[in-house]
Amino acid sequence: MGASVALDCDAELMLRVKDGDGASFSLLLGKYRASVCHFLYRMVQDQAVSEELAQEVFLRVYKSRETYEATAKFTTWLYRIATHLALNWLRDERNERRQERLDQGTEDTPVREVPDRVPSVEQQMVHALKVEEVRHAVASLPDKQRAAVLMHKYEEMEYSQIAKVLSCSESAVKSLLFRAYETLRVRLAHMA
Amino acid sequence: MDCPIRTDENTDWLLEYSAGRLDREHAALMARHVQTCQECARFVEGQQRVWNALSQWGVDPVSAGFDRRLYRAIDAQPVSWKDRIFRPLQPFWRRAIPLAAACLLIVVGVVLHAPQATLTPAASQAAVEKNEAEQVERTLDDMQMLRELEMTPKQEENTSKSL
Repeated sequence: MGASVALDCDAELMLRVKDGDGASFSLLLGKYRASVCHFLYRMVQDQAVSEELAQEVFLRVYKSRETYEATAKFTTWLYRIATHLALNWLRDERNERRQERLDQGTEDTPVREVPDRVPSVEQQMVHALKVEEVRHAVASLPDKQRAAVLMHKYEEMEYSQIAKVLSCSESAVKSLLFRAYETLRVRLAHMA
Repeated sequence: MDCPIRTDENTDWLLEYSAGRLDREHAALMARHVQTCQECARFVEGQQRVWNALSQWGVDPVSAGFDRRLYRAIDAQPVSWKDRIFRPLQPFWRRAIPLAAACLLIVVGVVLHAPQATLTPAASQAAVEKNEAEQVERTLDDMQMLRELEMTPKQEENTSKSL
């Protein structure tokens, strides 16, 4: 029920954007800016690139306003654009130099800490190492499996919606997720 | 229930159960099964470890200038000539179209319900006959006038001779 209300609300906002209402676009941007940026960051694992891609996502949403039809959930359309851009970027940038940059970027990557108390330096280092391992484990997944895991885990999308975003069947998504988590279980088995 | 791992069915239940997202009814079924199936218990334990590890992966907030850059990019988009012409008129059209449709409906209604000015066959026949009679009468008048005109010079000639 909540999902359908959200669907109507977002689609309605987008239809208003289609009618030239800039304020509705601002509302959609405010609502999905963070989640799209975070999804893209976890996909490409580069802050600057993820924001660049997120800019492109919202720019495409704006440019496509004239032809927008509320045939699917707004978020499905939004993540479809985001996933498409991320997969293209990963395909284009998959080379040795990028792999090196990813490996070197470990120390530069800021790690968000949300503790109850100020953690010790040792705790911070342990946490940073754990996050780094997670990052590498996710990065090692094939692109589609990675996208499916990120949408399932962080965006809490249902199988049917992930299937629509990735343009595949629901059973294919189940299979993608099962294999992806299998890989992660092996790679992260030592983490408590 | 059948073991999801051995039968390769409902494996998504295992994933959702491990994530704590399965609905209450299925979660209860799953919990009973996991208690008796070592393979599934191991799976759930491993999956929960992965889930917790993924939860630790936080991300930085979006940079402050994100919206400003986006709107700058939007403003930099070339505007087509159609947009240049029709975009300012869009609010007008939005109001004008329903108004025009309403006017059209009214006009159609008036046309359909107005008394018809068409003639019946008998009336049209009578009108034609009346027209013909008038034409004949007018022709006779014209002929009479011509005759009078012809007579007038002769009469004048005779009068002058007699004088």
